[in-house]
Amino acid sequence: MDGESKRWAVAGRKAAAVGRIAFRHQLAYKTDFAMRGFFLLFILFVFIQLWSAAYEGDFSKSISGFTLKQIVWYLVFTEALTLAAPPLCSRIEEEVKNGDVAIRLIRPQSYAGYHFSVFASEALTRFVVHLAIGSAIAWPFVGPPSFGYGWLGLLALSAGALTVTFLLLMIVGLCAFWVEETSGLYFVLQKLQFTIGGMLLPIDLMPEWLQRVCAWLPFQAALYFPARMGVHFDSTLLVKQLAIQIGWIVLLGLAVSRMYRRGVKKLHVNGG
Amino acid sequence: MSTADKLMANARYVWTCWKVNLAAAMEYRLSFLLLAGMMFVNNAIWLFFWSLFFGRFPVVQGWELHDVMLLWAVSTGGFGWAAVLFGNFPRIAGIVATGHLDVYLSQPRPVLLSVLVSRSSVTAAGDFLFGIAVYLMVGDTSLRGMLLFALGLLISGMLFIAVMVVAGCSAFWIGNAEGMTQQLFNSFIALTTYPSDIFRGFVKLALFSLVPAGFISYLPIGLLRDFDPLFAVGAVTAACGLTLAGTLLFRRGLRRYASGNTIAMRS
Repeated sequence: MDGESKRWAVAGRKAAAVGRIAFRHQLAYKTDFAMRGFFLLFILFVFIQLWSAAYEGDFSKSISGFTLKQIVWYLVFTEALTLAAPPLCSRIEEEVKNGDVAIRLIRPQSYAGYHFSVFASEALTRFVVHLAIGSAIAWPFVGPPSFGYGWLGLLALSAGALTVTFLLLMIVGLCAFWVEETSGLYFVLQKLQFTIGGMLLPIDLMPEWLQRVCAWLPFQAALYFPARMGVHFDSTLLVKQLAIQIGWIVLLGLAVSRMYRRGVKKLHVNGG
Repeated sequence: MSTADKLMANARYVWTCWKVNLAAAMEYRLSFLLLAGMMFVNNAIWLFFWSLFFGRFPVVQGWELHDVMLLWAVSTGGFGWAAVLFGNFPRIAGIVATGHLDVYLSQPRPVLLSVLVSRSSVTAAGDFLFGIAVYLMVGDTSLRGMLLFALGLLISGMLFIAVMVVAGCSAFWIGNAEGMTQQLFNSFIALTTYPSDIFRGFVKLALFSLVPAGFISYLPIGLLRDFDPLFAVGAVTAACGLTLAGTLLFRRGLRRYASGNTIAMRS
């Protein structure tokens, strides 16, 4: 094994170790899980009522390619992905404010890499739990998620979707190196995901002009792609959407790397 | 001291608290404007979602975009004034459970009133302004329309406060009820921003009894669009009844309150 591959193997082992600790850490906060689970059940119940009223309870009606059953499962998938993301921005903001960032920076692991390990571990666990909770309410109301290879499409695009979400959150979080307070920016990002990211409404149901705008933004890769593929499997589209996700991951990854390198030079920590 | 004197003294106390809260918010003027502005934008984005939704489904159970806009006007406006003037109403469970009630018990004023007025939510100013802006955009601005909207705001704000006071009082009996009341608070707010007619059967019944969010979410129809005297009387009764129930429950709960001997300053 040459020096370079050895270095990558060590970095991988460190990332896996951090991920394992983050996973165990989550299991200690069962109440937190239960609270989020309750809110997911509640909000999905409200959505089911709303969309059932919009479709007048007609399961055969199809609007822009979506039946009532597909809409409800689409919302289960977008909600599971949205609630899967841990509060990364506030964590980075706190680290900068209270000086903990100094400890992070001297550890033998990249700053973004550390946060990605924690994020991936927490997000994947939460995603699986939220999918189970969401299924528990959607199934009795609209029937089982029998969408052919849909589950495969959902899982194939979810890893990329969560990575795009991580990078978007990281960009906002790293702004704390300059401005300290990032809640306002996070707030704007969250609302963009809710609307033009397709969390509340599939992009297919939006007006034509807005669909064209959404096509040029990264938000659809984080929620709409996996959720739509989950209820409407299309192998050709799957390849195209995977390519778009990879493109956004590279672009946003470069932005994160550049921001980090510039931001860390500006950072002044007293104490910590 | 006669009852009238007591009332006047309490009114002066409340007025002073409001002035101090406003002065504190104005100390960080830019932060105040940003936070209030963000809440305004937040609500506007929700209305953007509803405009997309009603673009696809113009009428849902008799509700149109105009009605949902008024629903947001009444709900955010009511929540706005309640949280600006009585900003501690969602935090009662936490205050009781952590023993921070001691600070208020030492003051020669009604404890519940003192707790409620001692904080002002900065972001809620954005909610209130949003409610007014939406009403001015799509509401009936005749004198009758304005009076009905003002009544709607009053009912909505009183219900927000009363429901959270009743829920917060549970901390006197079960201790740490902060998480539970926070969930109730979020759910209650969510329920007041969806048309009440999308719910049916037992859930709809619960919306007008157990979790009285229906008295807010039906206001755009039952009070503003097709004035229904029966609904209006029911909503006013629910708001006043729950306020009274909250006050009595708090007073009862206080008898069970065990001090944590917390040494704290009101900030």
